[in-house]
Amino acid sequence: MKPEDFEHELRRQPLRQVPGEWRKEILTTAESAAVTRRAPPAIRPSWLSTFNSQLSILLWPHPKAWAGLAAIWLLILAADFSMRDQPPGVAEKSAPPSPEVMVELRQQQRMLVELIGSRDEHAAVRSKSYVPQPRSDWRFEILRA
Amino acid sequence: MRGPDLRRLYDEHAQALYAFLLNLTCNESDTRDLLQNIFVKLARDPDLLNRARDERAFLIRLAHNAAIDLMRRRGTQDKTRELFGIEHVSPFAPTRDPDQHAFRTALAEALAGLPADQRAVIHLKLWEGLTFEEIATTLGIPPNTAASRYRYGLDKLRERLRPLYEEIK
Repeated sequence: MKPEDFEHELRRQPLRQVPGEWRKEILTTAESAAVTRRAPPAIRPSWLSTFNSQLSILLWPHPKAWAGLAAIWLLILAADFSMRDQPPGVAEKSAPPSPEVMVELRQQQRMLVELIGSRDEHAAVRSKSYVPQPRSDWRFEILRA
Repeated sequence: MRGPDLRRLYDEHAQALYAFLLNLTCNESDTRDLLQNIFVKLARDPDLLNRARDERAFLIRLAHNAAIDLMRRRGTQDKTRELFGIEHVSPFAPTRDPDQHAFRTALAEALAGLPADQRAVIHLKLWEGLTFEEIATTLGIPPNTAASRYRYGLDKLRERLRPLYEEIK
């Protein structure tokens, strides 16, 4: 059997025909699906419009009262900002310290210097008394003991 | 896409798609569902075919993908079908000639025994008359793969049909 002959024999086998009644059924289904697809989709409201409508529902019973409340808050904010704008001159206008206070301050300063100086000397004495030995000397002493 | 375009597409391509799908699924009911799904898809997305260079190749590719998806989903059902001996529907036209009838029945059974990828290539080569390049483009596989699948599939068919073929010749 030659391969070409076999292929030719297969090729000449007629294929089954598509059933005639399918045409109408399939096309009807497809066209109805297309019509469904073309129908305008339900418009989903954005979050902003939802928020807006909810706010309207909330404020609707007494809109004037809410407007008045908002105006009062605005006045409070305006007053707060106007007070912040005043120049801070209080500290600059305070009187200079008296001579007694100056003398007291100098005394305290002198005591502080003395205290700091004495601590430094003590630390220097302690540092002189400690003479570190090399490790080999320690081992030698331990062995001798 | 409007109605007349769908009708034209059906008249031009439904027969080829039907034969290809029937060869892949071996089941008329599945073939009908898949064919309908393809046309529903085309109706829902009118721009689908605008992107295609070759209408027939594009539709065959759609059919192939749909059939492969169905076969994967129905893997266990197909095993059940085999267990209960439910008969495969032949993709070939019925005939009154007993020799031809026997040959077509044997051919349909031999085709059904091939892996789906080999069956698809053999169908497109023998009954759609596509080249390996065209088959490769249609199925999204390299041309060499298309050629090797065809050769393997044809060898199996030849081995299986040899006695019957030599008898009727």
